[in-house]
Amino acid sequence: MSNLRGGEILGKGMKAAAMATAMMLVTLAGGQAAAADFDPDATINIGSLYEPQNLDNTAGAGQGLNEAFNGNVYEALFSLADDGTVQPALAKDTKISEDGLTYTFALQPGVTFHSGKALTSKDVKFSIERVTSADSKSSRKNSLKPITSIETPDDSTVVIKLSSRSISLPYNLSYVSIVSETAKDLTSKEDGTGPYKLASWRRGSALALARFDGYWGAKPSNGDVVFHYFTEATALNNALLTGAVDIITSVQSPDSLAQFKDNKDFTVAEGKSTTKLLLAYNDRVAPFDNVKVRKALARAVDDAKLLKAVWGDYGTLIGSFVPPTDPWYVDLTKTDAYDPESAKALLKEAGYPDGFSFTLDTPNYDPHPIAAQFLQSELAKVGVKVKINIITANEWYTKVYKAHDFQATLQEHVNHRDIVFYGNPDFYWGYNNPEVVDLIKQAEASTTTDEQTAKLKKANEIIAEDAASNWLYLYPQIVVSAKSVTGYPLNGLNAQFYVSGIKKAD
Amino acid sequence: MSDLVSLPATTRTRGPLPRALLVGLFIVGLQLVIALMTLVWTPYDPSALAGQRLEAPSLIHLAGTDRLGRDLFTLIMIGARIALTVGCGAILIGGLIGVTIGLAAAFAARTLDDVFAAGLDILIAFPTLLIAMLIVASSDGASLWTATLAIGVANSAIVARLTRILGKRVLALDYITAARISGSSWLSIVFRHVLPNIWPTLMVNLALQFGLAVIAEASLSYLGLGTPPPNASWGRLLQEAQATVQTAPLGAIAPGLALVALVIGINLLADGLRDLSDPARRSA
Amino acid sequence: MIFSYVLRRLIILAVSILVASAVLFLLLRLLPGDPANALVSIGADPEQIEAARRQVGSDLPLPQQFIQFAGGLMRFDFGNSFISRTPVLPEIGARLSVTVPLTLGAFLLAVVLAVPLGIIAAVRKARWYGGLIAVVSQLGIAVPVFWIGILLVTLFAVQLRLLPSGGFPARGWQRPEAAITALILPIVTVALVMAASLIRYVRAATLDVLGSDYLRTARALGASFSEALVRHGIRNGAVPVISILGIELASTLLGAVVVERVFSLPGLGSMLLLGIEQRDYPTVQAVLFISTLLVLLVGFAADILQRLVDPRLRGVIGSRP
Repeated sequence: MSNLRGGEILGKGMKAAAMATAMMLVTLAGGQAAAADFDPDATINIGSLYEPQNLDNTAGAGQGLNEAFNGNVYEALFSLADDGTVQPALAKDTKISEDGLTYTFALQPGVTFHSGKALTSKDVKFSIERVTSADSKSSRKNSLKPITSIETPDDSTVVIKLSSRSISLPYNLSYVSIVSETAKDLTSKEDGTGPYKLASWRRGSALALARFDGYWGAKPSNGDVVFHYFTEATALNNALLTGAVDIITSVQSPDSLAQFKDNKDFTVAEGKSTTKLLLAYNDRVAPFDNVKVRKALARAVDDAKLLKAVWGDYGTLIGSFVPPTDPWYVDLTKTDAYDPESAKALLKEAGYPDGFSFTLDTPNYDPHPIAAQFLQSELAKVGVKVKINIITANEWYTKVYKAHDFQATLQEHVNHRDIVFYGNPDFYWGYNNPEVVDLIKQAEASTTTDEQTAKLKKANEIIAEDAASNWLYLYPQIVVSAKSVTGYPLNGLNAQFYVSGIKKAD
Repeated sequence: MSDLVSLPATTRTRGPLPRALLVGLFIVGLQLVIALMTLVWTPYDPSALAGQRLEAPSLIHLAGTDRLGRDLFTLIMIGARIALTVGCGAILIGGLIGVTIGLAAAFAARTLDDVFAAGLDILIAFPTLLIAMLIVASSDGASLWTATLAIGVANSAIVARLTRILGKRVLALDYITAARISGSSWLSIVFRHVLPNIWPTLMVNLALQFGLAVIAEASLSYLGLGTPPPNASWGRLLQEAQATVQTAPLGAIAPGLALVALVIGINLLADGLRDLSDPARRSA
Repeated sequence: MIFSYVLRRLIILAVSILVASAVLFLLLRLLPGDPANALVSIGADPEQIEAARRQVGSDLPLPQQFIQFAGGLMRFDFGNSFISRTPVLPEIGARLSVTVPLTLGAFLLAVVLAVPLGIIAAVRKARWYGGLIAVVSQLGIAVPVFWIGILLVTLFAVQLRLLPSGGFPARGWQRPEAAITALILPIVTVALVMAASLIRYVRAATLDVLGSDYLRTARALGASFSEALVRHGIRNGAVPVISILGIELASTLLGAVVVERVFSLPGLGSMLLLGIEQRDYPTVQAVLFISTLLVLLVGFAADILQRLVDPRLRGVIGSRP
């Protein structure tokens, strides 16, 4: 038996209480008001732009479901804490065989579903198989491919067998919501084990959660939580300004921040996000199959100016796809830094002394059109003409993602730990460097996290040196709340928003 | 439905030309000049970050800058061009399709005419917005062209309905019946009798449709279904400025004022045209 | 007689509904893009995309999809949303509980504002306030509805804090006072624009009546001006206004989409907008079918009403105007 994750808390005998405390510490970072005088039965009103499409992550529910349900209504064997560490949740204890191919999980005792049924290993097996089934739309399906079998020797033990080592298994399992195997209609109902149960969902308007009294863990510090959904950011801001909501989970433009920042009634908190804005080339087609052209374009764009224009003083510059919260982050902002003169020289070397022109498929929602216009004017300075083609998100999937029928595109990538996409030559951007493919494969088969981190760092550096894509900037993660509300998560990794620690002053 | 023909009358003014016509001509003419000017010159490059974010109005930036630091005055000028382009295109499309269908319906036998009338009712039931969404969705995304086409198609139903009613009224006149019996081809009836008779009313209606088209384009752009960047539509400028209405109110006001001015100008022009074509006035 | 007219009109209505439903189905299938796309996210493999297509049925041949659609329509069953996978009809009901009060409220407010103002503007057109009403209504029809919405929210919700800035209470009409306050600003927004154009029609119709022979005759026979106006004018003037009202009501119903966007209201319009974005055919079909149905019914009612009111048409047998 070996304990895999050096730095991360995982494995033997981690007590639920300790875990709950750790989560508290993390979530408390959201505010600084005295914790004593809060209303334990308060209703917390949360404003968000991301309404779930349905309530089932294996049926394409979208990121809105992660926000409302992960850790709140549904729990998983592990949880991804707001600081990015993986912590045990429903798996009280984890044992890993020497070859790394057998994981044995002991389940947390005394856990019941909202329906009143007790949690058993069969529910866990059922839940994991829902994600890996043929009809699953879960974005995590691929990462669970190494699973060959799930056994349930008794009600409180789950044994997972793998075909190859998968050091990220606990991390990946943190996305698998555990549902009761007797649950029905999971697209519009729920049966989870989390601290809240679903009270009502009025589509297009609000989703209400009520505290679940039979919760096995720490009791939430509020009574119930309502997620209010908006289609316009301005309407959302106005709702906070007028007291209709207490918190905005993720502010999508800095324009409205001025009115909250200089206002003593509000807290503007900046966390760390994993959302990256990319100018992704189709690396399969000319001229983007030429490393020199890609490097030239990377040098021709003043990312700092773009970030300043879109986000003002917020946000972070990145030199590669990996954000600082991933363990394999390396500061690569110096690689192909802004230098229009050398960009011109590189273009000349690549055989394009007079530049060229290309079509940029641009999703029709912010910040893509703005970024596209900025790129258009920046690249014009080195002789490259950009034709902006505005498309919908739906068209993007058909044209760019599925058919690879594009020259270059803009896209935001929200996921945490998603460097693995560069190890897949069939991915939409078509980056194919055998060395990187190999490194990413080896990293997953590592026996220690140090080994995994070292391999991915190496891959990260190569990808940056190849200028596989043009990584423009990392979004800021800004949560704005009324002063009276504290204890919310700041980083919102993978769009999660744990609400059980939120307190509202009397 | 003959009542659609009686359009709102306006106070008739004395003098060589109606005052409404002059004021309308001035406003529309001014915006037309600005729109044409943007083809060759604008104060700044519309997509250049010419200043800081959300600068207040100054001599350097007459209307301040937008949230990206682009010169708002330049963008509003370009907005005039877009509005006029979409307006012209839409009434051209709406007029062509609408008059053709309307005349066909007017000439058709009664059962067929019922079908036309019902079909037009259905078409009118579909709002511009929906037609726009369908057209936008079935092409390579939103563009100046899809917005124009959508508004034009939506207009055509209204024009067709009006043409049908006007046309039937003219066809019922005795001398036309006589011409039909005497074997004049329908084509010659259309061009010699029907069109000249209905043209004045039709023109006034088209002018009103022009104003509505400008508003429709702004609404579509507000919803993200109109003219895409870098072409600044007034609707999109307003949508973008919505977030900063507290801190930089001008951005949420100036494009709206430009739009309202243009539409009022066009409506005044329409009113003036009606007064000109009014038989009572002509005989006076 | 009126019955034969109603019968004729009913047949046209039925045929219109049939044609509209077939056209709807075909139009939607012209849209490129795949509803399955809304169900997958970055990271999905081709196998998963195929699974999504099987789920929504977009892998079936077109005729088969149509048979399913038409069969459902007969039973008034619009199927399940591709995206939420729940039945569409109850969802439409929930959305109508926002859109119908919004539309009717705005419509009534607009009529209440426009009819007296329009008549005053015509009767007193020489006075300053008669002219003012005409000018203000000119201004009103030139303003896009969303802009009025933005300005009203800024003033009444954000600055003065008198009314909510948007959204709809989570429990809907279970909290009537919250639901009503949520709808006040949107209703006023729509009503202002609608009233502006109605005033123009009412004013024009009144001017027509004022210049008509029968009014002069009535006055010559000794009726007072107001008496003549009320007894003869309103009935005659109402005819063109009713048909305009019908069109206005119908266009507001779906025109509400813009206002619903400004105020983040969970109405039919926002359901449609989202449905089109996601290519959720069952949702879009059902919303369009129901709203087309409503629009056609409103048109039907307006025509019948017009027949009943119009003294010239009441005696005429079955001829279309």
